[in-house]
Amino acid sequence: MLGPNGAGKTTLLKVLTGQIRATSGEAEVLGLPVAQQPLEVRSRAGIVPEQSTPPSFLTPREVLELVVAVRGCEVDVEWWLEFFKFEEAEGRICRTLSRGQRQKVLLAAAFIAQPEVLFLDEPFINLDPLVQAKVRDWLGKYVAGGGTVFLNTHMLENAERLCNRAAIIHRGRIRSLIELEQLRSQGTTLEALFHEMVA
Amino acid sequence: MLQEEVRLNSSFASRRGFWLFPLLVVGAGLLATALAAELTAGVPYREVLLGLHFSFLFYGLFTGGLAFFGSDFLERIFGHYALVTSLPETQPLSYRRVMGIFFSKELLFYALFTFAPLTLGALLGTSWSFIAPERMLRLIASLLPSFCAGLAGAFLVASLYRRSLYAAVAGGGTLLLMLGALLAGDGLPQLAWYLDGSPPLPLGWGLALLPALAAALLVGEFHEQALPPVQGYREQYRETLVSSEWSRRWAVPAVVAKERLDLQRSRTGIKMVFSFAVPLMMLVFVNWFLDRGLPLEVEFNTIFWGVMVGFFGTMLYSWLNTMDDSSFYATLPLQVPDLVRARLVLFGTVTWWIPALFMGLIALLSRELRLLPLAIFVMVAVGLYIVSYTAWITGLRTNSSLYDATIFARFFLVSVPPMVLLAILSMALEQALPVVMVALSFTCLVLLLATQLFYGRIEHRWAGEEFD
Repeated sequence: MLGPNGAGKTTLLKVLTGQIRATSGEAEVLGLPVAQQPLEVRSRAGIVPEQSTPPSFLTPREVLELVVAVRGCEVDVEWWLEFFKFEEAEGRICRTLSRGQRQKVLLAAAFIAQPEVLFLDEPFINLDPLVQAKVRDWLGKYVAGGGTVFLNTHMLENAERLCNRAAIIHRGRIRSLIELEQLRSQGTTLEALFHEMVA
Repeated sequence: MLQEEVRLNSSFASRRGFWLFPLLVVGAGLLATALAAELTAGVPYREVLLGLHFSFLFYGLFTGGLAFFGSDFLERIFGHYALVTSLPETQPLSYRRVMGIFFSKELLFYALFTFAPLTLGALLGTSWSFIAPERMLRLIASLLPSFCAGLAGAFLVASLYRRSLYAAVAGGGTLLLMLGALLAGDGLPQLAWYLDGSPPLPLGWGLALLPALAAALLVGEFHEQALPPVQGYREQYRETLVSSEWSRRWAVPAVVAKERLDLQRSRTGIKMVFSFAVPLMMLVFVNWFLDRGLPLEVEFNTIFWGVMVGFFGTMLYSWLNTMDDSSFYATLPLQVPDLVRARLVLFGTVTWWIPALFMGLIALLSRELRLLPLAIFVMVAVGLYIVSYTAWITGLRTNSSLYDATIFARFFLVSVPPMVLLAILSMALEQALPVVMVALSFTCLVLLLATQLFYGRIEHRWAGEEFD
């Protein structure tokens, strides 16, 4: 999902994950009506919100343990701590971590339960290039394994590398929904399409 | 900063609720003035004035205290908030200067938001009162420095607290000693000015502003710690989760465990103790004032304090709602009632030591240990009643919701009548012990039944609401 600032990307993601109610229309995720069954949707989805922070007074390890306990899944917390290299943050509460580290905690909290669908709002923000590459690789494997990723981003380069389909939203309306394969075959780029739709 | 303050306050509640507040103050000023003769009958004039000045001093302390905890409070409720006070982090401005401006803004804001409508109401009220309008204006002009002194005192303690806890305690103690010395001497200068025209009012203002000046001079510069400290231990959450399993019947144990760690690590417990101590001190002051002023002696026994301490349970619940920003929960299969219930579990278990401690102290000092079990029963019934109602009508935003005049009016109507009834019963205890015991027990039973009703409605009221 691409769009300029204030286009409605985050609002749409919040509607799709049952965090806010739509003023009109209906939303369905995995065949479930979001407004009626928000808990079912959230139990099958992983969410990385934009401009959010993990719990201030828990350490990264404890945040993941909280997620595992709430979702009732059995997964290896250690694997994720190692994946995002949280060794140095061991025993340090999220409030004292850098923005990049906090973003990694949010990503790990969304990925850990291996949900059927991931809703990611600007997931690469504040991440260094090495971690960005690592997350991109993991998402590729996740999609190859049958998972779905719904990605909100400004970073057109990441969208080109990661996505099969792209939608452009402007002033609350979807202006274009296109397969990236089709776009390439037309000899154009996502950036050109974005400028055409939004300018 | 003024613009910021208005927008911030109106964002706590609805805009209508925010702008209703000055109207309430106009009404309160009008009523208090119109009924002044009846309210102060039998109380010496000087004592009434002293009581008024102390009330405004406490009001200043309270608003200054809000500024003290303000940034923490906002950050935890709303996530990161960039206020003008944080400008010294990025701009060539000293904390000293920003603190001076911040204090001036607070004084101006409350002068416009509270004192202006109060003056209007009081002037209207003089039509039905023995007080002449020009005397009323003079009285309010003398009360403003008392409010300012409270505000400045809170700022000084906050400024010293940024240096160390010991400095804050020493500063607070010095201020109390200075106040005591003033009262033991010629009294408050602004009160003397109102009564006799001497000393001049600027002396009262000067003394009131002195702590604010000291606060700005002593505030110092701050730098974040290069390496954050390690907190807790590796297994702490898992152990807390295991020991929270018993709560599964009422709440999600994983959430209860998280909230327990928040309570511990955010040091909210210390703030809870202080927030309990301040209103209790005010009640002790009221007790002292009534004892000195009224011809009949009113004796507040341990049962009465049980009612009051139970009522202050609202503050505990309110503090639990300020520990941390709750938006992360929106990413999990949880709803707002799950968090409300977890905090109610915490209120009913972990934080009870605070009111119980105060009750034990009160019973011990009043030499009424025999009344302690009944007082604790009353305290528990009142506490559960008032907190479950608070949770039902305010959810996760207790502080900000109570700024809304309509919600505050509902809260007032539901909380005050049973409190008054129980307080009257407690005072009649010695006159007709068996009858009062039955009446107290019956009232508490009704409160517990109402608690069940309020608790049951939390799910319905908050199920579809947002966390942030």
